[in-house]
Amino acid sequence: MYCSLLLLFSVYLWGQDDAELKPVPILTGSTGYFTRVTAGTVQDAPTVSPLLLVPLGDKWLIEAKGSLTDTFAKNRAGTYNGLVSYGAAYAQVDYIANPYVTVSAGRFITPFGIYGERFGPNWIRALQVTPMTSGLTSGGSLGGMLRGGFPAGTEKVNFDYAVYFSTNNTNHIVATDRSTGGRIGFFLPGPRLEFGASFQQTLQLDRPHAAAVHFVWQPNRVPLSLRSEYVRTSGLKGSGYYIEATYQLSQVPYLRRVEAVGRGQQFLKADNLSAATIRRLGALGRDTKQGDFGLNYYFRPDVRASASYGRQFALGKNANLWTIGMTYRFLMPLASRGSVL
Amino acid sequence: MRIKAIIFVSLLTISLGRLAVAQSAKSDDGNAARVAPAATAQPADSRLEGEKRFHSNCGRCHMAPPKFPPRMMATIIRHMRVRATITDEEMRLILKYMTQ
Repeated sequence: MYCSLLLLFSVYLWGQDDAELKPVPILTGSTGYFTRVTAGTVQDAPTVSPLLLVPLGDKWLIEAKGSLTDTFAKNRAGTYNGLVSYGAAYAQVDYIANPYVTVSAGRFITPFGIYGERFGPNWIRALQVTPMTSGLTSGGSLGGMLRGGFPAGTEKVNFDYAVYFSTNNTNHIVATDRSTGGRIGFFLPGPRLEFGASFQQTLQLDRPHAAAVHFVWQPNRVPLSLRSEYVRTSGLKGSGYYIEATYQLSQVPYLRRVEAVGRGQQFLKADNLSAATIRRLGALGRDTKQGDFGLNYYFRPDVRASASYGRQFALGKNANLWTIGMTYRFLMPLASRGSVL
Repeated sequence: MRIKAIIFVSLLTISLGRLAVAQSAKSDDGNAARVAPAATAQPADSRLEGEKRFHSNCGRCHMAPPKFPPRMMATIIRHMRVRATITDEEMRLILKYMTQ
């Protein structure tokens, strides 16, 4: 009798339609271990950056990403010292109001340029060395943001935008400046061409502003990506640009999983800086040119080994920059059922 | 015993009836496909379009990821809609492609 009921239940389930697709909360992010040699100083840095994604209903999403890094460096006595650093990259609530507008509130990555929002995670960035232009503006904001992307009157062009307002926050984990600004961009899916511009106005201290333009192109016929950004600031931090190219060796036998990367960048310090300001700005207080070359090997789409060499040319501070390490992007569901609402 | 037999027959009838309806619907889909080839071309086109949008959008920043379970993919695509400001239509096409 019970076997019959089990059989009937199986038949009943077979006749069921597919369940509606409900998003589930997930925990993702990346871990990495990198050894860096900067002008002869060796550093080892294991890091983990978990990202929690919690969808609520059909229109809401909670995103929270943190990072924890333990940096070991050899001191003059020959022993290693560790320095633990942690932070919250973003912790925001998103509401997808309609196809044109998404409202975000909380701590978020400042929508300025393309590097911070899109190429920041270590499992995504082609070179682990960050472009110098990333230090020119406030990377994080605390406040509200409107953003969205939609076809610009034709399917051949997509338009995207982001505007934000941030308050001042002095907490060392989530420090932000009082500022406002935004970014607009155009993406042409056919030729896979993207370009745009950004603006940021700081509303405190000497109220500097910054402007940037960006460009991305991925030709359809070759596995090449070209990216470039130019950033100019009105304050003490100068201006700079980088051009980065990645080439997937997918057409070469035995090297299909290898990606070659090259980047050239130049930074021009602001004029008339005092000696004290130059000391405070560190690397941003000197005119600098830098070239980097690297190789990435993808064991799987989520496991990658990376190595790179760079040469930095700065007045009295020429240096070799070596980096080698691995990244792993993890992803796991936190519930078997759908959205909690 | 008689009650059990009635329950058993009732459940059997309901289940077989539901199965018949489900199979009929699938069969209707098949008939529709034979009668109107354009009707099947639409999902195929949709799949191709989804694949195209997937490569042109996701490949702008990172390597193409593998396909994840559908409910996880629904969360990821919502996250990417916000982060990469992909359009509403692209989100739907990519999600459909990645969950097939």
